[in-house]
Amino acid sequence: MIFRLKYLRLFCCLAVVVAAGCDTVEPSFRLNMVEAVSNDTGDAYQQEIQNVLGGMFGSPDAPYVLPETGLDQARLQVAAGPAWSDQAGTNHGLYRRHCVHCHGINGDGRGPTARFLNPYPRDYRPGIYKFKSTYNASKPTDEDLHRVLINGVPGTGMPSFSLLPGSEVESLVEYVKYLSIRGQMETALIRYVYDDLDEEEALDEKGNPILDPNGEPVMLRVPLDPENEPDQREAILEILGEIVDGWNAANEGIIVPAEDQIPSDSRTPEEIAASVVRGRELFYGVKANCVKCHGPTGLGDGQQDDQDYWNKVNKVFLESLTQKTSPAVEAVKQEVAATLYPVRNAIPRDLRLGIYRGGRRRIDIFWKIYAGIAGTPMPGLGPASAGATGTLTEAEMWDIVEYVLSLPYEPPSQPQKALPENLNPISSAG
Amino acid sequence: MRLFWSFLFFLVPVLGVLTFVLAPYFNIALPPDVSEHGRVIDNLFMFILYLTGAVFVVTESVLFYFMWKYDAGSNDKPVKFSHGSHVLEIVWTILPAVTLLFIAIYQMQAWAVAKMDPPRDAQGKIIDPICEVTGRQFNWDFRYPGPDKELHTEDDIVRTDGKLYLPVDEEILLRINSADVLHSFFLPNLRLKQDVVPGMKQNMWFKATKTGGYDIVCAELCGWGHYKMKGRVFFLTRDKFEAKLTEMIAEKNTMRVKVPEEE
Repeated sequence: MIFRLKYLRLFCCLAVVVAAGCDTVEPSFRLNMVEAVSNDTGDAYQQEIQNVLGGMFGSPDAPYVLPETGLDQARLQVAAGPAWSDQAGTNHGLYRRHCVHCHGINGDGRGPTARFLNPYPRDYRPGIYKFKSTYNASKPTDEDLHRVLINGVPGTGMPSFSLLPGSEVESLVEYVKYLSIRGQMETALIRYVYDDLDEEEALDEKGNPILDPNGEPVMLRVPLDPENEPDQREAILEILGEIVDGWNAANEGIIVPAEDQIPSDSRTPEEIAASVVRGRELFYGVKANCVKCHGPTGLGDGQQDDQDYWNKVNKVFLESLTQKTSPAVEAVKQEVAATLYPVRNAIPRDLRLGIYRGGRRRIDIFWKIYAGIAGTPMPGLGPASAGATGTLTEAEMWDIVEYVLSLPYEPPSQPQKALPENLNPISSAG
Repeated sequence: MRLFWSFLFFLVPVLGVLTFVLAPYFNIALPPDVSEHGRVIDNLFMFILYLTGAVFVVTESVLFYFMWKYDAGSNDKPVKFSHGSHVLEIVWTILPAVTLLFIAIYQMQAWAVAKMDPPRDAQGKIIDPICEVTGRQFNWDFRYPGPDKELHTEDDIVRTDGKLYLPVDEEILLRINSADVLHSFFLPNLRLKQDVVPGMKQNMWFKATKTGGYDIVCAELCGWGHYKMKGRVFFLTRDKFEAKLTEMIAEKNTMRVKVPEEE
């Protein structure tokens, strides 16, 4: 019976379907099209940039880093590639197993589930991170990234990964840095091509310019080819060095609270209450001006018209669509614009909820007040870098920390209890 | 042909029984039970399993027998029609109804202990929650009342790393709520799960009998991350639990940072 023709056909159809499903296409990094289109990067340059990045950083399945980056190649191997486990039970493909569906294969925060999230997942490519212990302009330390993975980001779609073995968390931190450095290099290359690679005159064997029928020199596009052009190679390695230096300097950017201004561990309740009062004064005062954004009641309903860095980039790009350019460029821009998620304003935090995205230790809130939050309109009130002067003293910042931590427990912040039902009919009151 | 088809159908009860017999060796049996009341629930489960298993084997065997005996290829006698047997109908309605009634009454106590009778103190008041569990997409957040033993006061300890610490050998009451959509707080090793409806605070209570770390999983589809909404509950002795709370308070109050050594 099995050999009857109609069953044979059915079997063959099923076999083809199954085989097609089993065949997987290797994923590849996609170019940062917003940057490329904003910088008029032509198709040929786009391809060459992809090639250079491929040579410098490999592919999602086979990452590679130059020794200059200081990244751990072994950890990247574990984090990259398809998700699988070996005989010993070691998990590979950690990024794809845990992160890619939100943060995207490029680390651009555009994975398949990203569009359903508010706030959008982080785009690693600019190398800007909100929740860290360093000055606003500095990179996060490894410990900062580690903390985000361990605690998640409450109030967002980012869960905690503390149940993963420590080595896996460290591999993921390494891979995030890899995607960041790669993303920064991508933007730098696009800008390098735009700024430094111009057209050059075509020359014949004797070194004279070749002229076209009108008598103008024929202009040739200068290809991006660091393998064969030592100048370009040098320039690119210099750019890489700058990017890597930024990451290596993260530990030097850690904000260390001054020991003499840290509140004592053995304060009496009266001292704590006094600190809260001082914090309240500062919160509503002009020097700190917290209410401008966080609102007169701390609900985050002050100004809400600004965007964070990542949304602003998209907003600027979308606004550039109104400028008149050639129809071909228009078409490409429209295509790229269609892939972007809706621009969202940066809504200041409602401080009465008790949800702290960047960490809820005293020092986490202190760091937010000191350095602000990088990539957002939240400004820092401390020195912008070591040796500079800030707007507030550290003691004042600790007072604000005390006030902020007390805000969710003030009577106005507590949910109102349901009123008891009026069981007596109104008519009985006469 | 009757050999093939009737034995194919006979494989169903054979494989069904084999699955349960061999389950422990393939790690698909019930997970280890570390709660006081879990034993009752497991016994109930086993009782129903054996009862329905016996009925299952009997009915499938009868099916096999009929397929074998009345196979069309080997029977050339004319079909005999029966107008049914009134007695048989009554028997096989009453018997299952009585059995179900028995099970319904038999399990009432188990259900009441797990879902209707929270542990009370000497005065008859329900004990205070030792932790408030909040499910959000896609993480479990925990809030301990802190030294003042009251939830939603300033000394609360809030943890978002998915690790719940609880004392062992004590009656525990957890308050469970949801921050956004439906979730279900499921402790497989304590045989307890509780769906949380947003806006509705639920209680869950148990007493753990063994220290160690056990799984927390989400048991109500809550979105694309439901499959990885996991946590870990650790049962510690009372003094270790108190020490852990102190550690968490200290971390909450961190005001200093350690700068890594220059490499």
